[in-house]
Amino acid sequence: MKQKLLIFFLLGLFALNNAFAQNRKITGVVTGADDGQPLPGVSVMVQGTKVGTLTDGDGKFTLNVPTNSGTLVFTFIGYATQNLTITGSNTYNVKLATSTRQLSEVVVQDSYGTQSKKSYTGSAETVSGARNENKPFSTFQQALQGEVAGVAVTSSSGQPGANNQVRIRGLGSITNQAAAQPLYVIDGMIVNAGDLSQRTNGANSSSGSSNALAGINENDIETITVLKDASATAIYGSRGSNGVIVITTKRGRNGKTQIRFDAELGKSNNVPLPVAGKLLTPDQFKTFFDEGFRNYYSSQINPATKVVYTPAEITANIASLDNTYALTGPGNDWVKLVTKNGSQQQYNVSLNGGDEKTKIFSSVGYFKQDATIIKSYLERVTGLINLDHTISKSFSITTGINASNVLQNTPLQGSAYYSSPWASAYFLRPFQMAYNPDGTINSSVTGNANFPTSGNSNPLYIAAHDSRSLYQTRILGNQTIRWNIVDQLKYTGYASADYQNLEETTFLNPIMGDARSLNGSGTSAYSRYFNWLIRNQLDYRYDIPGIENFFIDATVGYEAQRSAGYLNQAYATGYPATQPTLTAVGVASTPATAYQATSNYTFDAVYSRVGINFKNRYSLSASLRNDGSSRFGTAKQFGTFYSIGGAWNIDQETFFGTQKVFTTAKIRSSYGTTGNANSLTNYQWRPTAGYTTSTGATVAYNSSSGQAYNTIGNVNLTWESQKKFDLGTDFGFFNDRLTFSVDYYKNLISGLISNAAVAWELGFTQQAQNIGAMRNQGVEFAVKGIPVKTRDFTWNVNFNLAHNANTMTMLANLDAANPLQTSLWLARGYDYYTWYSRQYAGVNPSNGNALWYTDGTKTATTTNYSAAQRVPMGQADPKIISGFNNSFTFKGITLSVDFYGSFGNRISDSWSYYLNDGTYLTGSNKYVYTFNNRWTTPGQITDVPKDVYAGGSSSSSSSFSSRFLYYGDFIRLKNASLGYDFKNISYLNKIGISRLYLYGRATNLYTKTYDKRLPFDPEVPVNGFSTLDLPQVRTFTIGLNVGL
Amino acid sequence: MRGFKKMKLDKIIYTLLACAVTATSCKKSFLDEQPSTAVTVTQSIQTPNDLADAVNGMYNTMKNTMLFGRDIPVLGDLLADNTYVNQSNSGRYLNDNNYTYAASTSAEASDIFSQGYYSILQANRVIYEGRKLGTSPDVSQLVGEAYAARALIYLELVNWFGTPYTVNPSAPGVPLVTVPSYVTGFSAKPTRATVSAVYTKIISDLDSAYALMPTGSTPLHAINSDYIAKYAAKAIEARAYLYEGDYANARDAALLVVQNGSYSLATTQSAFTGFWTSPTATTTKLEKIFELNQNASNNLGNTGLDAIFSQAGYGDIQATTDLYNAYTTTDFRRTLIIDGKRAGAQAYIINKFPNYSNTDKDETPVIRYAEVILTLAESYARLGDEANAKIYLNQLAKLRDPSFAGYTSTGDQLKTDILNERRKELAFEGLRFFDFTRLNLPIVRPAQTQGYASYPLVPITDYRRILPIPQSERDANPNVTQNPGY
Repeated sequence: MKQKLLIFFLLGLFALNNAFAQNRKITGVVTGADDGQPLPGVSVMVQGTKVGTLTDGDGKFTLNVPTNSGTLVFTFIGYATQNLTITGSNTYNVKLATSTRQLSEVVVQDSYGTQSKKSYTGSAETVSGARNENKPFSTFQQALQGEVAGVAVTSSSGQPGANNQVRIRGLGSITNQAAAQPLYVIDGMIVNAGDLSQRTNGANSSSGSSNALAGINENDIETITVLKDASATAIYGSRGSNGVIVITTKRGRNGKTQIRFDAELGKSNNVPLPVAGKLLTPDQFKTFFDEGFRNYYSSQINPATKVVYTPAEITANIASLDNTYALTGPGNDWVKLVTKNGSQQQYNVSLNGGDEKTKIFSSVGYFKQDATIIKSYLERVTGLINLDHTISKSFSITTGINASNVLQNTPLQGSAYYSSPWASAYFLRPFQMAYNPDGTINSSVTGNANFPTSGNSNPLYIAAHDSRSLYQTRILGNQTIRWNIVDQLKYTGYASADYQNLEETTFLNPIMGDARSLNGSGTSAYSRYFNWLIRNQLDYRYDIPGIENFFIDATVGYEAQRSAGYLNQAYATGYPATQPTLTAVGVASTPATAYQATSNYTFDAVYSRVGINFKNRYSLSASLRNDGSSRFGTAKQFGTFYSIGGAWNIDQETFFGTQKVFTTAKIRSSYGTTGNANSLTNYQWRPTAGYTTSTGATVAYNSSSGQAYNTIGNVNLTWESQKKFDLGTDFGFFNDRLTFSVDYYKNLISGLISNAAVAWELGFTQQAQNIGAMRNQGVEFAVKGIPVKTRDFTWNVNFNLAHNANTMTMLANLDAANPLQTSLWLARGYDYYTWYSRQYAGVNPSNGNALWYTDGTKTATTTNYSAAQRVPMGQADPKIISGFNNSFTFKGITLSVDFYGSFGNRISDSWSYYLNDGTYLTGSNKYVYTFNNRWTTPGQITDVPKDVYAGGSSSSSSSFSSRFLYYGDFIRLKNASLGYDFKNISYLNKIGISRLYLYGRATNLYTKTYDKRLPFDPEVPVNGFSTLDLPQVRTFTIGLNVGL
Repeated sequence: MRGFKKMKLDKIIYTLLACAVTATSCKKSFLDEQPSTAVTVTQSIQTPNDLADAVNGMYNTMKNTMLFGRDIPVLGDLLADNTYVNQSNSGRYLNDNNYTYAASTSAEASDIFSQGYYSILQANRVIYEGRKLGTSPDVSQLVGEAYAARALIYLELVNWFGTPYTVNPSAPGVPLVTVPSYVTGFSAKPTRATVSAVYTKIISDLDSAYALMPTGSTPLHAINSDYIAKYAAKAIEARAYLYEGDYANARDAALLVVQNGSYSLATTQSAFTGFWTSPTATTTKLEKIFELNQNASNNLGNTGLDAIFSQAGYGDIQATTDLYNAYTTTDFRRTLIIDGKRAGAQAYIINKFPNYSNTDKDETPVIRYAEVILTLAESYARLGDEANAKIYLNQLAKLRDPSFAGYTSTGDQLKTDILNERRKELAFEGLRFFDFTRLNLPIVRPAQTQGYASYPLVPITDYRRILPIPQSERDANPNVTQNPGY
């Protein structure tokens, strides 16, 4: 009975399809000639007819052709059109060769499938992994900088393996930096990203930066796709708001087995400090020091004589001070002492091969970056195996294992730490001597010629004795089973497990530095994250009967994910001063912290996506996802997110052929909702009575366990939401050798999590609530392609430019100083990062005193810093970011130059108070700009006040004002490389080498800034504040790629 | 073949449906991730053991630096005439030392207010949940401790932020919150109850505590000074009545402690020195009635009360010369002050809490037996029973100074003698300031060579005799009025 019914059903379908003509059915698979990957969305037409179809996600097509048909025409953007005569066979497998555009741009791949770029309604961009292979960047995010319009990547620390701040289309959340990062997906898996170290986030945290994705080898990446608008991201539901970065690793290809070997070696040094930010030489320092004290004493009453100091007394005092601070002795150059020549090396071996049934890609990689600041390095070992196997016509599996280990040592960073080597270079006087006369490292903490007990210590001693290491191990595995249940109906089962552990050990010595008062301190932290995800998905394609090339793609699925964090920490103080090599926590005499906690979250979702494609001319798409998460309060635990989008490929219209300007043209638009669950910490909504405080301190009393209601919670707390609108257009010229894309977007963000005040009588002072709102809107512009191509010469270009405007529209404490930073202003109608400062009015030429404008009208000045009003002074985050990447190939020679630019912001540093003027004369070195431009003689026009110890009458001259807001615009030559491809050298072929490419490369070779007063590197964190993080590095490498 | 496929299709559809159904049904529990170091507050107290943990948590919050751990005892002397901040300092308590605090700048006012109510929340929770756990002796003891703790904190709050009862009982006191906020929600904006209403609640809580705490054979916590015992509640009540100016009730409460509390005073120099140098609680009811535990594994480190006095810690605060000179040379209590140096200059270093450099730090005192005896003496004196007043006053004074013959004064002089004895006995325990405020006396703050020459006199009209309501709290709760002058 069942069989009969089925036959009847099939006959019915057959009859429907055969309503018009006597047809035959042919099938086939379209793959790329270069890599054997299936190509979805390829147009398959019968020449001279309107009969045709598009290939599905696996490159497969089924077509009913009239019996008298002659030729099949395969066309696909970026590929050479191919014609195939229809013979007696019913199967036609085709390999298309690329024309001019890169393969990566023809499909958009996310966790839920592969879509043809032609009919894609969203805004997404794909970067080929090949672009960034072998680059000497410790994280792939660094390499992503400047590659995609609207993606801002900040790498403000020169520490290898540091976390990068990535912002897609502006700031998405105000909770913290981690809450604004995009979602990262690796081979379908939603991974934990950001800085997971306890050193940054846990109890006893200090400074340092790690990157959970530092274990990714750029050479293993096939493509990186950035999903930007609602159409592209809403399928990720409550985690799509900040955009999604989808990494797809390399997979095996059909054909000859290829072995590839890459090696790169090199040296690095610091990106040079801007001229204004050089520090004083010992001689300059002494001059500045003496002058500051001379100016100081000349207006002071001598308590002994009750009259102003006489010149003779002043000279005597200065001589005595010079003696005290050892300014008469030898000096040294601290910047030079704390920096070293860095080194860079990486080696990668990969294997790529397979046949029709089984394909494999495997690789191993080694990467080592020894940075330019003492005791800062990263070492990485990676391995990847990706396997694809077709079991039968119906079943195929793919599997992958990606393993990595990162060893990173990070010195203390920033000005808050006495042991921070780079900060010490600024805060130590040139006359504090690194070495004793006998050549040993100076560890004395007595006397002003040496190092203070609480103050910056000798960084050389710190480097020799302290360690702050991190072992980060990751194993990411995934498995997919695909089952073609019947024609057009497919099941995909996906499971992935991401295991990551971080072992951190910190030892600060008992002799000098931050742990001196504790007699040394040690921390041992262990963090383990086990993150799994499963997905069950059905895909169905329905061809509208009667109309060729008109079909609906529908996807439904269920996804569950759980990430379990297990965190341990032991912290102890009191180390034996006589055993500097014994640094284990157990050695310490005083156990201080024993911390253990879990940090888990779950997500669970049903999702669906529907696309309608009419002859590749019109396409509509919609997605719907319902997300639940353990991070959301019980009152709002489930959220629904949707998107709708449409695209019109004008080039598919018949009238398009009447013009010759464009070869392709497309208009697309989308609208939808997404959420951001990153702003929520794992148990934040839950009102709890803790046995520890939020910082891990016990609530015990008298050595008996105790609990206190210490997490206020909020059962209404939930995701932040975003309404995204995007309108974009893509144009192709010269047979699509050059494409232009322009996008306008407007994202309305609401439900921003912010702390609202609660009446203190209730026991707490604030509660996190979904109360804020802001807006990001902007335009993106991108040009890609090959403007020039002759037989021998090719110019490949990728230029992009993006403008984003952020505006706060609602917040708990609007129109008040930014709660995060007092020098930033938070007000309705202003950018989130708006400077709020007193306006510097320069120096009074007659006496050298600093002046400030009393208010925004700039009509009156005052010498009283406190009397000057603060006004909004421009934004700290750039208005425009841009990338300009070029590669020129002449015969076998390739020259690549990649620029990155950032414009329209003002930046500051958090230590200008110490490094300018005479205010703080004995405890730090000074910027040479302040030395060279200081007021010395009446009538002198300058912007640096008189050098007076303790500041004299302008004691606040170096306090924060617009004087220390610098123009942050810069253009940086991020990467330049020159290589030669030894093509067709028969000798090489004879010894089995099919490819040999040799090159030299330099990174951060040149930086153009636009403010001559700027004393520090312009690439600062997104809040516009430079801290004394490790300086950026400049790398010079040579490398070779060998193919067998 | 086709049929086989179809059957398989059915199967997979059924399987998927089943999966979806199961997934949906287990969704709730799958999304229920529990933290590993905390319990959902509504489920956190289910047994008497949980209740005991919550009481420990309550004490843990009370011993905080920002409450009884340092701010309260420091301010109580610093704002009066017992201590001063040395010019060589770490920047702490300067606003208080110089009487320059304002609504938006006083960190201490902010700390005492916020941490006071935070601790009250913990006490409210114990009372609210404890009431559901029956009336076993242990539960009654624990709930009683919470009642007493709540009263103690309200007594501090109403005296720091409200006009003294003796000056104007109908002036605004502090808001009264007696139900935990996870029950009431967080949208409430309570208003200030009158000072007398707050006192009524304090007395009622202390009566509840006293009535609840069992008497039988050594109930839980009863003989350990780290916990509030039955007669500790009575001792706190004696203080409350004294501050209220209700001397008859103060006398009765104090007398009950003296007669039934089994507390004793140190009778020898070594016993006296011994209890002050001991970093641990007493289990013999010697001298100490209630103090907050600071042991080796859980203490305030360099933010403790001992650290602000100890020269091994911040050591910012010293005893005034005036106070030092108030002691006779034979007074045991003078040994608690060292005639030493700070930053090279002479200074009277407070050594009442000498264990800062040890791993087990000093407990923070809250109420001692000597205070109860002095309260009794003062109550008698103010009620006109000078004979009894002198019995108790001399009982203490002669034990502290064996060479002292005893007070024989009468009338106002006797009252002054009692106050001076209180000053000498309770110095550095944060009570001196309230002796001035409750009796509405001007504060004469002696000049110190190493101190700051500011604010020598605090007349009774000075608005700073009451701390400001923190500005941030008033922003959060506009229903709370500011104290006059701020």
